[in-house]
Amino acid sequence: MEAFLPVGILFILAIIISAGLFTVKRLLGPRNPVPAKLAVYECGVTPESSARIPFQTGFYLIAVLFLLFDVEAAFFFPWALVYKESLAEGPALLIAMLIYMALLVLGLVYIFRKDCLKLN
Amino acid sequence: MREILFVIFSIFTITAASGVLLSKSPVYSAFSLILSFFGLAGLYLLWGSTFMAMIQILIYTGAIVVLFVFVVMLLNLNTEKENPPNLLFWGISAGSVWLLSLILLRVLTRSIPSKLPAVPVDQLRTISKLLFTRYLWPFEVLSLFLLVMIVAIFAITRTGEIPVGGEKS
Amino acid sequence: MDLTDLIITVVKTAVIYIGMIQVVPLMLIVERRGAALIQDRPGPNRVGPFGLFQPIADVIKMMMKEVIIPSQVNKALYLLGPSLVLLPASLVIAALPFGDFFSVFNKPYLLQVANIDVGILYVLAIGSLGIYGILFGGWASNNKFSLMGAMRATSQIISYEIPLGLAACSAVLWYGSFSLREMVVTQEGTLWGVIPNWGVFCQPLGFLLFFIAAFAETNRLPFDLPETEAELVAGFHTEYGPMDFGTFFMAEYMNMATMSGLMVAMYFGGWHLPWIADATLLQWLGSRNILAILQVVTVVTKMAFFMVVYVWVRWTIPRFRFDQLMRLAWKNLIPLGLFNIVLTAVILYLKGAA
Repeated sequence: MEAFLPVGILFILAIIISAGLFTVKRLLGPRNPVPAKLAVYECGVTPESSARIPFQTGFYLIAVLFLLFDVEAAFFFPWALVYKESLAEGPALLIAMLIYMALLVLGLVYIFRKDCLKLN
Repeated sequence: MREILFVIFSIFTITAASGVLLSKSPVYSAFSLILSFFGLAGLYLLWGSTFMAMIQILIYTGAIVVLFVFVVMLLNLNTEKENPPNLLFWGISAGSVWLLSLILLRVLTRSIPSKLPAVPVDQLRTISKLLFTRYLWPFEVLSLFLLVMIVAIFAITRTGEIPVGGEKS
Repeated sequence: MDLTDLIITVVKTAVIYIGMIQVVPLMLIVERRGAALIQDRPGPNRVGPFGLFQPIADVIKMMMKEVIIPSQVNKALYLLGPSLVLLPASLVIAALPFGDFFSVFNKPYLLQVANIDVGILYVLAIGSLGIYGILFGGWASNNKFSLMGAMRATSQIISYEIPLGLAACSAVLWYGSFSLREMVVTQEGTLWGVIPNWGVFCQPLGFLLFFIAAFAETNRLPFDLPETEAELVAGFHTEYGPMDFGTFFMAEYMNMATMSGLMVAMYFGGWHLPWIADATLLQWLGSRNILAILQVVTVVTKMAFFMVVYVWVRWTIPRFRFDQLMRLAWKNLIPLGLFNIVLTAVILYLKGAA
């Protein structure tokens, strides 16, 4: 807990720098808004339809897969931390992780075989 | 000092959480959710559980909210086009409110300690060791669960084109 | 913690932070001159001797330009965007070790903002927050190019976070600690008496994975898909003004520096010089604080090497296509990362059994 005190100090400094950049650009820059200048940029032509268009599901898939693999990775970390010390008590942790990883690899193989991310 | 920080983080978390409910736009809700998760991470830090705090940020803030924001942006949720809530919606809502009230009642009627308990030493290694000894089976079952999730996601979405740009699928 | 401690901590934090910000103007000139060198042209050489004052001119130009807030944006998130990218980039540097320790009034102070026991997790967790600035900024701009750029940036960054995490995980496995400081301490000495006991020699595959993923995480070429000028104008920052662009750029350079610092700490021995033990150095130099300065110089030199590699790669390798990028992450890097973890675990087991 105490170790995070300097992080708090750093956070305050970072806020000051961000706010400083924000203020400086507002103070120094001229302001001369005209409607054409404030329009949405679409390579010079008049913007057509809203920018909030529905997206492909591919992005969503990536996000879900990332979530799953992130959870998996989160469990690797505590394992990695105690693995070295546990070696004295035999290969129990190694086997536990190999089972865990086998299932994970099965999932990866499924992704590739089904070719759901169209990776091939 | 810890008590003051506890109050600050709690108020921050609750304020941000109410922001999730009160924002009109779902994107702003997601933003408030990030802030409230940060408050939670701060609370974990106060309990001395740095590992939990980091996992909270890594998984919840870094992955789950990304998913939420993606869904909001992908579906392009418009508040005005929302379906009127039906009976099921009201049933679930009423049920949740009742459950939450009961939990709150249980918590509030208990005696509240005036001081936070002391921080245990070397929580990091203790948690890790427990996870791979006493809780080994839940851990292994979890990976099976994640495998099922992967299969389920593809079963639900079906289509999976290369995400190149913003064309409609 | 008394008042002296607090003052020294604040000053130390400020010095490290301001020092890291100085990476930005330095890299501006290094990148532009480096690009010119590789492309066989003079590059900026008019402002000051050898064009050294060019970054100052650039910054002044950015500051003096007009601030445009387009009419269709979601104002709050649009204005927050650049800061949301800069804040995580500033916070990650807390875990980087720049040296062992220095002493003031015979009291040791670590050459690190904070000695966090979950250092590597902290870097991964806070580092992953940078995407929100891009995602919210791109969405709030209400521009098709911005939204596409933001979507691409997010997909790319989250995809490469997994190999990054897996590589870091095998490093944790090897060193048996989350703390970057402890990792560096473990890397002292030599392997079989010949080569330095550095992570890059013990974890070559892990380093390669980390190195590749670091490029993608910082949106650098060959992975700068979020801002492909040819297709997306400027990607997620299409609607942003010059100083906001500058802020995004600042965050990018600081992220590069952090990634370099991580690679130095995890794989290149941190503050250790090859073949020379710290105790021997201390004997030669005679003073703890002189050794501390030498250590900082060592770390900064190693980091500078990686920064130059970033520039070098940028102007050497062409950009990937988006599907190639995804394929590289999911089909090559993630299986390799898992393989590396198993390999490391088995080697450690055999080492323990022997």
